[in-house]
Amino acid sequence: MKSSRRKFLLGSGAVVAAASVAGYKETMSAVATLSDKGELAEDSIYFNSPEAEYSVSKDGFVPNKDYKVCASTCIGCTTQCGIRVKVDTKNDTVVRVLGNPYNLLSSDPWLPYDTSIKESYTLLSQHGKFETYRSNVCARGNVAFDKITSKNRVLKPLKRVGKRGENKWKEIEIEQLIDEIVNGGDLFGEGHVKGLKDVRDIKTPINPDEPIFGPKSNGLNFIGTTHEGRFKIFIHRFLKSFGTVNVQGHTSNCGLSMRAGEAAFLGNFKKYPHLKPDFENTEYLLSIGTPPGQAGNPFKRQGKLLARARTEKNIEYTIVSPTQGNSDTIAVGDRSHWIPIVPGTDLAFVMGLLQIIINNKLYNDGYLRIPSAKAMTALNDASWTNATHLIIQDETDFGRVLKEGKVPLVLDATDNTLKPSTAVTQAVLDFEGEVQSGGKTYHVQTAFHELARNVNEHTLDAYAKECGVSVEKMQEIAHKFVSHGRKASVDCHGGTMHTTGFYTTYAVMMLGAMVGNLNYKGGMSAGGGAYKDFVGKRYNLFAYKGKTKIKSTRIDKARMAYEKTNEYKQKKAQGKPYPAKDTWYPFTNALESEVVMNSAKGYPYKLDVLMTAAANFIYGTSGANAKVEKLLADPKNIPLFVAIDPFINETTRYADYIVPDSVLYESWGIVHVWAGYQTKANTLRFPVVKPRQASFKNGEPIELISFMIALGKKLNLPGFGEKAIKDNNGTWHPLNKAEDIYLRAFENVAMDGKPVPDATDEDIQLSGIEAFVPSLKRICGANWRKTAYVMARGGRFQDIEESYQGNKLSHKYKKPIQVYNETVGTKRHSITGERFSGTPRYFKQRMNGGETYEKLFPKSEYPLTAFSFKSNVLATPMAASKLMDQIRFTTYVDLNPKTAEKFGLHHGDKVRVSSAFGTVEGYLRLRHGVMLDCLGVEHGLGRNGEGAEDVTINGKVIPGNARLRSGIDINKIGLLDKSRGLATVTDFVCGSNARHAMPVKIEKV
Amino acid sequence: MDEKNSRRDFLKKGLSATAFATLVTSQAEAFSMQNPGRDAKDAKYIGQVGKHFVMVLDLRKCIGCQACTSVCKVENDVPDEQYRTFVTETEVGEFPDPRKAFLPQLCNHCADPACVPVCPTGATFKREDGIVVVDNTVCWGCGYCINACPYDKRYFNERTKTADKCNFCAHRVDKGLLPACVETCIGGARIFGDVNDKTSEVYQVLQQFPTTVLKEAEGTNPQVFYIGLDSRLEELYSTTQSLDDVVKAEEGFNREWMKARGEEENHG
Repeated sequence: MKSSRRKFLLGSGAVVAAASVAGYKETMSAVATLSDKGELAEDSIYFNSPEAEYSVSKDGFVPNKDYKVCASTCIGCTTQCGIRVKVDTKNDTVVRVLGNPYNLLSSDPWLPYDTSIKESYTLLSQHGKFETYRSNVCARGNVAFDKITSKNRVLKPLKRVGKRGENKWKEIEIEQLIDEIVNGGDLFGEGHVKGLKDVRDIKTPINPDEPIFGPKSNGLNFIGTTHEGRFKIFIHRFLKSFGTVNVQGHTSNCGLSMRAGEAAFLGNFKKYPHLKPDFENTEYLLSIGTPPGQAGNPFKRQGKLLARARTEKNIEYTIVSPTQGNSDTIAVGDRSHWIPIVPGTDLAFVMGLLQIIINNKLYNDGYLRIPSAKAMTALNDASWTNATHLIIQDETDFGRVLKEGKVPLVLDATDNTLKPSTAVTQAVLDFEGEVQSGGKTYHVQTAFHELARNVNEHTLDAYAKECGVSVEKMQEIAHKFVSHGRKASVDCHGGTMHTTGFYTTYAVMMLGAMVGNLNYKGGMSAGGGAYKDFVGKRYNLFAYKGKTKIKSTRIDKARMAYEKTNEYKQKKAQGKPYPAKDTWYPFTNALESEVVMNSAKGYPYKLDVLMTAAANFIYGTSGANAKVEKLLADPKNIPLFVAIDPFINETTRYADYIVPDSVLYESWGIVHVWAGYQTKANTLRFPVVKPRQASFKNGEPIELISFMIALGKKLNLPGFGEKAIKDNNGTWHPLNKAEDIYLRAFENVAMDGKPVPDATDEDIQLSGIEAFVPSLKRICGANWRKTAYVMARGGRFQDIEESYQGNKLSHKYKKPIQVYNETVGTKRHSITGERFSGTPRYFKQRMNGGETYEKLFPKSEYPLTAFSFKSNVLATPMAASKLMDQIRFTTYVDLNPKTAEKFGLHHGDKVRVSSAFGTVEGYLRLRHGVMLDCLGVEHGLGRNGEGAEDVTINGKVIPGNARLRSGIDINKIGLLDKSRGLATVTDFVCGSNARHAMPVKIEKV
Repeated sequence: MDEKNSRRDFLKKGLSATAFATLVTSQAEAFSMQNPGRDAKDAKYIGQVGKHFVMVLDLRKCIGCQACTSVCKVENDVPDEQYRTFVTETEVGEFPDPRKAFLPQLCNHCADPACVPVCPTGATFKREDGIVVVDNTVCWGCGYCINACPYDKRYFNERTKTADKCNFCAHRVDKGLLPACVETCIGGARIFGDVNDKTSEVYQVLQQFPTTVLKEAEGTNPQVFYIGLDSRLEELYSTTQSLDDVVKAEEGFNREWMKARGEEENHG
């Protein structure tokens, strides 16, 4: 009988029988043909497995000369683990990926940084300390490399022939591509297209009525993806030099609700930091929709630490989610719990917990009374909050924190008098009333008082009814959470991507403030930081002469309050300042999901050129399918679209030009760990195989970096070519190649703090970096061996022993927790004019205009609530991997059997799922691990790009892989927000794309 | 506690009996046919004399991530739709209290393998270090061993037209390294080593924790041991099939269907 991998218990009898017969027949027909001789395997016993890259025996270590093993970074998902690549040097091909044992994302503990490369290999053998330093790669990372040789890869520059989106292309030379996009002209026989040269007008306003919108050069917008080691340095250099403020990553489709909510909690909307539990040492983890091992970043590290903590240490954990993730296993008994919940109602659950904690005074009172950093130090605590700060409630200055100069005023708990927070160690926590300051009377309340008021806005019963979790369960979890002191932790991430995700995250994090877990071992951590790389001891690689200083309005209306526009001033003069024409996002950094629609609307202005790099907002934006695709197909909305991408995806098929790019281990980069770690780490990469795509005349492969340099030079932009990099001694250096930046950034890393040792010849040889030695000597001079030391190890990593100082983290988050966030509390929604709450507050799923989902989409018509969940295997950039579908072939519509019964549906049925705006079809999988009356879809398949569809190049059809189309893309049934005119549904505060909690109906096909 | 202890005692005994059985059976009856490589005492046929490789799967540490499934496909060039190892992901119990259960599976490298005696050519045999291997130069591809394996862990390699299966990555193990699935196991659930070496992790883990094997009643004496295996999984393990197969058939990706229609599978 044929082996089959995944055997779900929920198959009906008929389904099981059919599959069994098919499998059996196949094997028997195959073995019946004995006369048919197969291919000879490479080896009689070892079959076709490649030889080991080295051997270790009692006689020592012997490298295999046919292979090199180089450190690199996997960018198969956003975790970006440090890995090692095994390269067959005869064919210059990758044959395997292994973990990098120096890297904390692949090993824990990781190797002491001063371990020699040779020892790093022997330690991972049968003769070393394998069980200690085991270094791994996930299901994605193990197969990602086959994208390099994908036949669907773009190897030469493409120009569209035919209409946008038809997926018909011709290959052109890169010089022609650059010439056309710079100079413009009648490029497609559809009329004149403005070139970049003409777009770059940094003087004339883009909208004469709104000077604050900035110059016409803002007509260029660049969308990247997550920072994967190149974007920050190259895209930003280009755009700053060009003179546009318009650049986005993919956060608004990914985890912006979480990011924004945590930025509010941590009081930093500039850097958007976020916290993660100290997974290994926490005693109780309450995860809201982010089961470690299934979801969350860092994927592998979280899974590893959880597995260890529940087996060898003392963790108990509860996952609150509409779907039971892979954090659970029956093998660990009562350490693991799952609480099913209705999607988009986590906020009700968490507000319920906060109510129980606050009303029963279960919080850490002494901690919350700490009013300043000075008091924190005096009391030997590790963090502090603004819970005792006083918020002005009078109409003038509403929402401001009462201060004297820059110092907040608090009521001293010892004598109830108003004093600067720096002069008080314990302040009054719960207060509302009048205070006198500077001869004026203010009506104020403490931040804590406002929070207490908000959590009591609804009853526990009401919260329970909303979320489907009983009051008793909430009581149990609240008491359990506070019973572990500082060693309780919370987590949330992509599950907050719905219309009230900002406040959901803010409330989840607030649970941590109640016990004071920030900066504590077993509590919450903002991460261990990184060594200085682009800006460091030797170079500031962001600096160059001639940078434009454009302060203006972004196309996505982020980082800007509506109240600063002339539109507001005029409407106010007419007596009705609200609504604005569309929503503005005063404390959001960037919104990829808004760009195309805003340009189509011409609000705030129209774009001339869209450039993208590895972006895929059509696949990634819930609701884009209904509208954005059509807008992008019409050049009127954005006249020129240039995509940099090694593949043609759902978005770049609408491009006018496609510039090839390097894939994975062919490229350069430096990345930092997102969160969930306690020590400094920089993971780097450099090409370990020759890029497969075409090259420029100077021999540089055509890819993101070389293209931006060539484009910068063609446009005569400052910061490219000669005299573009200045070292800290004042000497200028040219920027012509990627290595001009990266080897210098690596040198900065090597020289930060106490410089690293010199790499030995053996280190260099055994890490496969000999080819870089001439460039290292030329660029890094006396420091070349130190730079090589960092490259050989795939980065620089602080030793694990430096993680903690006693019961506290070594790397602490320094700013105070914002129980009340003044930035939020002093802003209004630009459509409704309502004041944002500066503390967490409960809201139902709603449109920007305020209408609730339950009113717009009644249960009678849409009886189910749909959500997607993070795949532990699939990731959007992985579609082009041929091997990936061997690990996950398809995705399903997941339904609870009890819900299915109500609709007369069965396991394996083909079903149609519809929202008010779209329909998808797929197969039903019944699982008890799904909330009742909810519908879940694992995200990552149902593809129409990256090799899923046929593409015509030079008249020749390159067939797509139809298997990639299998499964469901739930974003195709995403909602639109009619209260904004033309818009996909967003979080009403921060603008993140709302992909969860969609009201849907289901029927059998 | 009593029950636990008695179980542990039983398993300890079981373990020492197993080690003994390997040495005896591998010479007496685990193969009866001639095999040129083995007769020539080629190291990769004989294995590492004096060692006894086993694997322990600590299910408390398995997160069902399929990293092992994935790396095995790459490391061993396993043909499409075939697997030397994989992890079944199952639910036990009903809403609102279902539990996830993961079961990593691979060749059990049995001390008394059912696949070896049925081989008519001597192509499959047990090395002296316990690894059951297939010599693809001798295998006819008759499929007897595939049908004999009570664990369904052998497959017919469509490219070589021979029986194929997990060999504990013998090509790496023979060079002092570890099986790829063990190297890449994120949770550290897979523990591999020489159980004859009392300092080894596998030996210590087997001493410390009660373990079970799959389908003990088959009498094959598996050398892959599980910590935390729920007995309910065994029934599911042998009776249920993948929903993927149904969808593949529905969507026209079933191999039999495609062959019947004379279509090549289009696989980018």
